[in-house]
Amino acid sequence: MIRFDNVSKQYVSGQNALNAVSFEIAKGEMAFITGHSGAGKSSLLKLILAAEKSTAGSVIVNGSDLSKLRKRDVPFLRRRIGSVFQDHQLLQDRTVADNVALPLDISGFDRRDAQRRVRAALDKVGLSGKEKQYPAALSSGEQQRVGIARAVVNRPAIILADEPTGNLDPELSAEIMAVFEQFKNVGVSLLIASHDISLINQMDYRTLVLKEGQLIGDTGRGES
Amino acid sequence: MPRQAAKVKSRKNPSKFTKTIRNHGKDALNSLLRMARTPLSSTMTIVVIAAALLLPSLLFSLNANISQLLAQFQNNARVVLYLNESTTDSRGIEVSESLLTLSDIDSAAFISSNEALQDFSSAAGFTDIVAELDKNPLPSSIVITPNLNAMEGLDQLAETLQAIPEVDLVQVDSQWLRRLAAISDLIELVARILGLIVVLSLCFIVGNTVRLHIENRRDEIRIIKLVGGTHSYIARPFLYTGFFYGIIGGILAGLLQAAVFLAFSDSIATIARLYDSSFQLQLLTPVILISLALAGGLMGWIAAMIAAYRRIGAINP
Repeated sequence: MIRFDNVSKQYVSGQNALNAVSFEIAKGEMAFITGHSGAGKSSLLKLILAAEKSTAGSVIVNGSDLSKLRKRDVPFLRRRIGSVFQDHQLLQDRTVADNVALPLDISGFDRRDAQRRVRAALDKVGLSGKEKQYPAALSSGEQQRVGIARAVVNRPAIILADEPTGNLDPELSAEIMAVFEQFKNVGVSLLIASHDISLINQMDYRTLVLKEGQLIGDTGRGES
Repeated sequence: MPRQAAKVKSRKNPSKFTKTIRNHGKDALNSLLRMARTPLSSTMTIVVIAAALLLPSLLFSLNANISQLLAQFQNNARVVLYLNESTTDSRGIEVSESLLTLSDIDSAAFISSNEALQDFSSAAGFTDIVAELDKNPLPSSIVITPNLNAMEGLDQLAETLQAIPEVDLVQVDSQWLRRLAAISDLIELVARILGLIVVLSLCFIVGNTVRLHIENRRDEIRIIKLVGGTHSYIARPFLYTGFFYGIIGGILAGLLQAAVFLAFSDSIATIARLYDSSFQLQLLTPVILISLALAGGLMGWIAAMIAAYRRIGAINP
């Protein structure tokens, strides 16, 4: 689903964010990516979302080579990827339901159909009944779960998460990971950036370790 | 039964066209609501647009009114033929009657030199002076009403009439009409140039407003881009914003123009009465209002399009 072949990313400032990184994540595989801040985790995720272009090597997502992707096709790539962010990235002036419905609205879904899917997605993350509330009225953990609901509502093939448990207590973190596992079990590929080592160890999934832009560790398909 | 099935299907899976219409409707409504949420700045933008549109529109309408006036006077244009002193009254009447056979002439009236003198003395109160004259200085004349619409035709007619041997002098009282027509042409030119300048400035006004709207919603646009929103999806509400600014500004310009004309209508009616004219200032025709609104809306849309696509392209997730 996601393949990196000797991918390097150098910013205009000269900073080397990624250096000859290669790995592949299969359909239905869940993997963590870890490393200190500045190790290149965010750059890696941005490359997958085509928010940045690699300087060298090729990034292949969902069968398409992103270096050859035309600019106007970028939105359609992103519609097949659900993204979860550390700072939630919710629209504060829209209700929870409207936030979750955003990807469906963009794809031009029928409203009735969209409502059904939004309810299902909120149900999955344990937020049934909060549809009409605004993000500001929710706790940080709840907001994060709204973000997850938005990421999965369009039934994406890939879910990317950037520090999804960054602000959450261990109990909530475990809950959210359990939600992610559910999606893995239905064939979604997940790549989760996190520096929560204890959580990663607890989960026992494949882990990619980045250090100063280099992939220094890959536990392989650790899932037994 | 199969009909019902089709009905259910159409509700569940509407055509792309229906979806597009529905999305556009929603975006248009949201744009309006957003404008209503900042009433002060929205009103100011609309007033500026209206003021910009008002100037060329006023000039165009003024010109339209002058043209109408010109046409009216042109129909009343008179040509006076002054005859040679040697022409007798009976010969004058003959010439006058023969003129009526020309298709360009509606009426021709012979005025003998004696009648002219009588008119002169009674009209101007010059009875004493006239009495002291030992010889009538006034020539006989024929007053003609042509039925021409164009000035050019009038010139030709004048030439034809000059060729009649009994005619001494042809006087066409069209000089001031010509001047008015020239002024009218000038006004139209100014209105056109002004219109062009206004189009440009409207593009800047609307473009700048839309740019501000986009800046205010930068985070929102970033998020929408991240979840796969296309540029046209993001731009659409802003295009409607530009469209509504333009269309409301256009309507306001039309109303302002009506108000301006209303302020002038009394004095113009007085002048028209003095000149014995049935002229009436056209206040606000539906054509003007509709074209102002459409012109404003179209310009707003285009300006918003230029501004929006540039700004949205510059926002990176």
